[in-house]
Amino acid sequence: MENKNKYWKGLEELNNDPKFVAAKKNEFAQGIPLEEVLTDSDGEMQSNRRDFLKYFGFSISAVALAACNNIPVKNAIPYIVKPENITPGVPNWYATTCGACSTGCSILVKTREGRPVKIEGNADSPVFKGGVCATGHASLLGLYDNERLNAPRKDANESTWETVDADIKKALSSAKNIRIVSGTITSPSTKKIISEFTAKYPTAKVVGYEAISYAALIEANKRAFGKAVVPSYNFDKAKVIVSFGADFLGTWISPVEYTKAWAKNRKAEDKKMSRHLHFESNLSLTGSNADYRFPIKPSMEGAVLLSIYNKIAASTGAPTFSVPTIEVALNSIDLTAKELLAAKGQSLVVSGSNNLDNQLLVAAINGLLGNIGSTVDLDNYSNQVSGDDAAFEAFVAEMESGAIDAVIFYNTNPAYSYYNADKFKNALKKVGTRITTNSSTDETGELCNYQTPDNHYLESWNDAEPKVGYFGLTQPTITNVFNTRQVQESLLKWAGNTTDVYSYIKNNWQSSILMAGEEAWNKALHDGFYLAAPKAVSSASSAPLANDIANKVTVNYTTNKNNTEIKLYSKIGLGDGTHANNPWLQELPDPISKVCWDNYLTIGKVTADQFNLKEGDVVTLKAGKTTIEGLPVLIQPGQANSTIGLAMGYGKLIGKVASNFGKGLGKNAFSLVGFENGTFTYNTASGVSLTKTDDGYELAQTQTHHTIEGRNLLREASLDEYIKNPSAGNNDHAHIISLWEEHDSKGHKWGMAIDMNACTGCGACVVSCSAENNVPVVGRKEILNSREMHWIRIDRYYSFKNLATGKPSTKEKEYNDKNNKIDFEHVTVMHQPMMCQHCGHAPCETVCPVLATVHSSEGLNQMAYNRCVGTRYCANNCPYKVRRFNWFKYRENDQFDFHFNNDLGRMVINPDVTVRSRGVMEKCSFCVQRIQASKLKAKIENRKMVDGDVKTACQQSCPADALVFGDMNDPNSEISKLFKNERKYVLLEEYNVQPSVGYMTKIRNVNEPIAGEQKAPAKHDEKHEEHKAAEHAHS
Amino acid sequence: MSYESPIRDLLVTGGKTYSDITKDITRPIENKPSKAWWLGFGLSSIVLAIWIFSTTYTMLVGLGAWGLNKTVGWAFDITNFVFWVGIGHAGTLISAVLLLFRQKWRMSINRSAEAMTIFAVLCAASFILSHMGRPWVAYWPIPLPNAFGSLWVNFNSPLVWDVFAISTYFSVSLVFWYVGLIPDIATVRDRATSKARKFWYGFFAMGWNGSTKVWHRYEVISLILAAISTPLVLSVHSIVSMDFATSLVPGWHTTIFPPYFVAGAIFSGFGMVLTLLVVAREVLNYKDYITSEHLDAMCRVVMLTGTLVGLAYITEFFVAAYSGVEYEQYAFLNRAFGPYGWSYWIMMGCNLVAPQVFWSKWARTTPWFIFIMSIIVNIGMWFERFVIIVTSLHRDFLPSSWSMYTPTIVEFSILLGSFGLFFFLFFLFMKFLPSINMSELKSIVKTKHALELEKQYTELLNNNHKMPHHAHETKGDSVHGH
Repeated sequence: MENKNKYWKGLEELNNDPKFVAAKKNEFAQGIPLEEVLTDSDGEMQSNRRDFLKYFGFSISAVALAACNNIPVKNAIPYIVKPENITPGVPNWYATTCGACSTGCSILVKTREGRPVKIEGNADSPVFKGGVCATGHASLLGLYDNERLNAPRKDANESTWETVDADIKKALSSAKNIRIVSGTITSPSTKKIISEFTAKYPTAKVVGYEAISYAALIEANKRAFGKAVVPSYNFDKAKVIVSFGADFLGTWISPVEYTKAWAKNRKAEDKKMSRHLHFESNLSLTGSNADYRFPIKPSMEGAVLLSIYNKIAASTGAPTFSVPTIEVALNSIDLTAKELLAAKGQSLVVSGSNNLDNQLLVAAINGLLGNIGSTVDLDNYSNQVSGDDAAFEAFVAEMESGAIDAVIFYNTNPAYSYYNADKFKNALKKVGTRITTNSSTDETGELCNYQTPDNHYLESWNDAEPKVGYFGLTQPTITNVFNTRQVQESLLKWAGNTTDVYSYIKNNWQSSILMAGEEAWNKALHDGFYLAAPKAVSSASSAPLANDIANKVTVNYTTNKNNTEIKLYSKIGLGDGTHANNPWLQELPDPISKVCWDNYLTIGKVTADQFNLKEGDVVTLKAGKTTIEGLPVLIQPGQANSTIGLAMGYGKLIGKVASNFGKGLGKNAFSLVGFENGTFTYNTASGVSLTKTDDGYELAQTQTHHTIEGRNLLREASLDEYIKNPSAGNNDHAHIISLWEEHDSKGHKWGMAIDMNACTGCGACVVSCSAENNVPVVGRKEILNSREMHWIRIDRYYSFKNLATGKPSTKEKEYNDKNNKIDFEHVTVMHQPMMCQHCGHAPCETVCPVLATVHSSEGLNQMAYNRCVGTRYCANNCPYKVRRFNWFKYRENDQFDFHFNNDLGRMVINPDVTVRSRGVMEKCSFCVQRIQASKLKAKIENRKMVDGDVKTACQQSCPADALVFGDMNDPNSEISKLFKNERKYVLLEEYNVQPSVGYMTKIRNVNEPIAGEQKAPAKHDEKHEEHKAAEHAHS
Repeated sequence: MSYESPIRDLLVTGGKTYSDITKDITRPIENKPSKAWWLGFGLSSIVLAIWIFSTTYTMLVGLGAWGLNKTVGWAFDITNFVFWVGIGHAGTLISAVLLLFRQKWRMSINRSAEAMTIFAVLCAASFILSHMGRPWVAYWPIPLPNAFGSLWVNFNSPLVWDVFAISTYFSVSLVFWYVGLIPDIATVRDRATSKARKFWYGFFAMGWNGSTKVWHRYEVISLILAAISTPLVLSVHSIVSMDFATSLVPGWHTTIFPPYFVAGAIFSGFGMVLTLLVVAREVLNYKDYITSEHLDAMCRVVMLTGTLVGLAYITEFFVAAYSGVEYEQYAFLNRAFGPYGWSYWIMMGCNLVAPQVFWSKWARTTPWFIFIMSIIVNIGMWFERFVIIVTSLHRDFLPSSWSMYTPTIVEFSILLGSFGLFFFLFFLFMKFLPSINMSELKSIVKTKHALELEKQYTELLNNNHKMPHHAHETKGDSVHGH
C-alpha cells in the first residue's frame, strides 16, 4: 500500500512554485558551484573552455602519475562467517605433545586466528613440568618451512596421493621382504598401526635406527638386570650425581625433565644440594654446570669407571678387578668413590657412552650402590630413545645382498647420518621400492622413488608414551599447510584399513589406555597427557661383571694412552641434524662456545700448541679411512688434553638454511662414527691426524671475550660458605646517593630475579624469546659483524686456574702471559642470562633525543619504535649492551633469506608484537604484550592481578625455573621475596642505574671455599641503616 | 744610537698599494680560473661524487653498510662529525675572538677561515644526518610544534643540545661571514663588466654604497656578531663533548671533556687553516698578504693547543687511576695498550709530540714543513676522536659484549668523500668570492707613499736630533690609529 502521507519540502512545493518545479528536475537543486570554483577570486574572469581543459588535464595527469606508483596490494580479508572458537585477537591454546624429537615433552601451542605462533611447556605435566627446550620452541618454525614437500612425489616428480597409494600398494603386495626403518617410536597407536601393517604384509619388519644411538645402554641393562630398557633417572632423588659424558642437561635422553629434577635438588635455600661430578672429554653444557668436572679422554672412561667400581666393590664386598693406575688429575677417582659410597642408594651414575663395557660398569656401580629402584627406575622406564645398531647393520647387509624389495623410511635419514653413507646409498639402490615419509626432501629422500611426506606434528593426530604410564596426545593445531598426509594414515591406507587416524587413536586410547569413555578422552585431550598409575618400583642388583671386562678396558686405556682422540657430540638445538634447516636453531649460539651456524674442532690449548694450531686455523682431519677437509679450529677451554671434539648434525647439502644456501655449513661428522661390538661408537682414537692448511676461517661467535676480567659481576660461594653466611660472596654493595628523583611507582613495578645457581645456560629462553618477540634471524655474516638481534643472551664466562698461585685467573693479560702457568683444562664456567635490565634510572632514556625510549609507570623501560630516529646513543650508553639495532631491513629482504623473507615463514610472526623496521633500536620489553594481556584478563574477570599471572617468554620456557618475573610492589610476590634474599645482587650497582633485574649468587657444592674471606655481614646492614636514616632526616 | 723594537714585521709585505690589493684579490674572480684551480676543483668534484654515492648507498641499504655493531654504535660517523665541527672552530676563533682582541694579523686569513668554518660545519651536519638509522625523520630532534599530541624532544639529551649548538653555530657563522663579505662584494660589483656579474654581486652587496654611515653600521654589527660568536667558540665544542661526557661509558664519562675538546677543536682548526693557506698563498700568489708572520702566529697557536690537549690526555689517565673505578682504569689502559693501542699512539704522536717542533722558528716559518705538520695535526685530531669513541665503546662494562670494530669501504668512502664536499665548496668560494678581506686589509697596509714618508721622517730624526727613546713606535703599529 502506498504511503498516503505527503511531506512537503517547503511551501514552494505545496504551492507548486514554477521555479521549484524547474529546479526539482535537477539532481542538485542548488546547482553545482563549478563556475564559482573555477573563477578567479576577484570574480572578474569567468572560467572558459581553456580553464576547464587545464584543470582537466592536470587532474588526469595527477591521477595518472599517482597511479604509476606501484603500491603493493595487501589484503586483509575478514571472516565472513566467524569460525567457531576463533575470536580475532584472542589466542587459542592447545595441549599437545612436542614432536621435535622423540622425547615427547608435553606442550601447549598458542594459535592466533588459526595459526600456531608459540610453543610453551605444559606446566601441568608431572614429568616435564612446563619446560621446553630450544629445539622444541624452534620446531614451530619447521611448520612454516616452505621447503617442505607440498605433495607426494614419485621419482622426484610431483604426484597425487591416489597414484602413489596405488603404486605402493601394488609394489608392497608383490614384495618379498619389506622393512620399515624408523627412528624411535614412542607412540602406542603408531606401534599398533605398524603391527596392522605387518599383519597385512607378513614379511615386513621394523628396523630401529637412531643416528645418535642408545643401544649400549639398553643392552647393558638387559645384561645386568634382564630388562632391555632405558631406565628413568630420578635426578631429584640423587644426593650425588656422577656423569660420564652424559650431557643430561643438554642433549641426553630427556634434558628438560632432567633439568627440572636436577635444579630442584640444587636450591641453596634448602641448605643442601646434590653434588654433581662430571667426567668428560668435551666441555658440555652439563659439564659446565657440574660442581667438579674432570676432563678425561674417551678411551679412559672404562678404566676410570672400573677403578671407581673397584673402590666401591672393595667396601661393599663385591669382587674387584685388576686395573692399571690411571693418571687423572685432582684425585678424582678417590673423591668420586668416596662421595658415592657416602650416598649409597641416593646416588646416580650415568654415562653418555655407547660402549657396552662402559654402560655395563655403570650398571654395576649403580647396582652396588643400591640405586636401582631409587634413582634408577627400570620399571617405569623411558621410551624416549632407542637404537638397535646391530639390526641396522644387518639391514644394510641385507640390502646389499639384494634381499630387500621394499623399504619405508620413517623419521630417519640414514643416507646422511649413517657412518658409511656411500655403502648405504649403493645398497639402497638395490631395493626396488624405496619410500620415505620425511616431510622434506633429504639425503635419503633423494634416493627414494616414493616420497610420501608426513605432516608436521602440529598438523597431526598422534600419541606418545615417553615413559611407561605417561601418555601424551598430539592434536592438530592447524589444517595441513601442504598436501601432506601423516604417516599413520599412509600406513593404514597401505594396510587396507580406511579408519581415519583420529578415530583410530581415540579407539585405541579408549580401549587400551584410558579404558573409559568419551569423558576421559575429552579430559586427556584437554590436558594433553594421561598419567596411568605407576608400576611398583623394584630394586635389583646387577648381574656380575664378566671377567674379560678388566682386560678390555685396560687394553682400551693403554693402547690409546698416547693417541689423540676424537669425541663426537651433538649440539644443543641442532642435535643429530634433523632440524638443520631451522634458522632459529642455527642462530642459537652454542651454550658453551657461543658459535652459531657452524661446527668446528674443539681443541684444548695444550693440544693445540702441540699441533701448532690457533683459533681460526683450518685443518684436514684424518681418522682411519675417513678424511674431513676444511675444519675450522676452536680453542676450547675445558677440553681434555689430547682430545678433539666435533659436533654431528652439520654438513648438509640439502635445505637452504641447512646448507647455508648451497655454500655449505659445517662438515658432516657422522663419517667418523664407528661400529664396534654391536654398537655405534662416537669416539675414535686410531690414526687421528691433523694437517694444518693455509686457509683461515672465522667462526661466528656472539661472545668473543670469554672471561670476566676480575670484575665483581659474577658472584659465587661454596655451599658451606653459604650455610655459614647466606650473603657469602655477596657482601660488596655500593653505598649510593641518588641525584635524581625517583620514579613514581604506585601500581605495579615489574622486575625479574635470575638464579644463577639454577640457570644451566641451555638457551631455551633465547629461542622462546625470538619466537615470542619476532626477533629476526640475521645469518652467519651478520653474527660475525657482532650484530645478532637476540633480546636475551646467556653470557658464558670461563675462569682458569693459575697453577702457581692456585687462584682463579680471569684477566686476559694474566692468562695470555706465557710465564704464568695456567690450567686451561680444569675450567670453571658461569652462565649469566642477560637481557634489558629495565633500569629505574635508565642511562638509555636520558640520552635519547626524541624520547623514543621512556620509563613506564610500571617500571618498564619501553621503546616506541616509530618514534626512534636511530642515533644509537642509547645502545652506546647501555652498560649491559642489551640494545639491538636494525642495521638492515630484515624482512622481505633477499639478503636475509630466512623465514621473514617468505609469506609462509612470516606466518610465525606473533601478531601482538611489532615487526621492527630498518633503522630503529629494539630490546627486551619484559614481554609487555603479555603483561597487557594479563591485565586485560584480570580486568575482564574483575579481579586484581595475582603473582604468576604474567610469565615472560623466557621464564615460561626455562627448564630450570631460573627466571622469576613479577610485581616488586606486591610484598607477597615471589620476586619481592627473592629481592630480599641475601643472595640477590644487581650488576653495576655502584652506577646506581637501579636495574629491575636481580641476580642470585651461584652456590657451588664444593669443598673448597670460593667467596674467601668474608667481610662482617653487619657492616653492610649498618651502612644501609645509615643511608635510610639519612634519607629520613632528609625528608 | 736608535733602537727599534722588532715586535712585529709588516703584516702585508711587498709595498702593496690599495689598488694592488683590489687587483690581486679580485684577480681569481674576474679572470678565467687557472689550471691549478681546475685541477683542484675537478678532483674535489670526483671525490664529492664518491661522497654522494656512498652516502646514498648507506641510506638505501641501511647502516649495516658500515662496520658498526651491537657494541660499537658510533665510530667513523661521529668521529668524522666531531672532526669537522672541530675544524670549524679555528674560523670562528680567528674572526671573532681575534677581532675582539684587535689582532690585526687575522685580517688576511679570517675570510677563508670563516668559509672553512661554514663548509666544515656542513660536512659535520652531513654526518649527523647519515649516522641516523632513519635519516628521513632527521628533523624529529628539533622541537617543532606538531600535530601528534604530546610528542616533544628530550631536553635531557645532549643530542638535542647538539642540534641547538650546531644550528646556532652554523647560522651565526654564516651571517658573520656574509656581513664581512658585503663591502668586498660591493667592490667586485663596482668593478664588474658583465650584466650578470653586476646583477648577482649587486644583489648580494645589498646596496652597499661605502658611505660613512654604512661603514659605521658595518663596524658595529661586526663587533656585535663577534661578541655573539665568541662564546660559541667555547660552547659548541663543549656541547659536542657532552655527547660523551654526560654518558656513563668509561672513557667518555669525564669532566675534563669540555675544555679539552675546545682546545682540541682550535688545534685541529688551525691545523686545517694552515693546510689551506699554505697551499692558497702558493697557488694564488698571496705571499704578500699571508706572510710568514701569519704562519708563525698560527704555528704558535697550534703548539699551545697541541700541548693543552696532550696535557688533557695525561690528566685523563691520572684521573682514571685516582678514581679507583676499575672500569675507568681498564678503559684507559685498554686505550693505550689494547687492540686499538696503535691509534692511541698515533694520536699521542701527532697531537702532543709533533707540535713541539714549533718551538723552532725555522719550523714555524717554513711553508712546506708547516704543510706537513698541518696534515699530521689533522690526522692526529681525527684519531683523537676515533680513540675516544671506538676504544671506549668496544670494551666497556660486561666483557661478554666486547667486540672489535672494522670500518667498511663505504665508511672510508664517506670520510674521503666529505673532504670532497669540503674542497668542492672551498674551490667555489675561491672562485666566486674574495678570499681575503680586502676592505680590512686596506686598513693595515702601508702604501709606498706612507713608507717613503716614514723613512724620511726617521732619517730626519736620526740625523738632526738623535733621540733614542723616540723609536718605540714600530713599523707595524704605526697605522693603528686609522
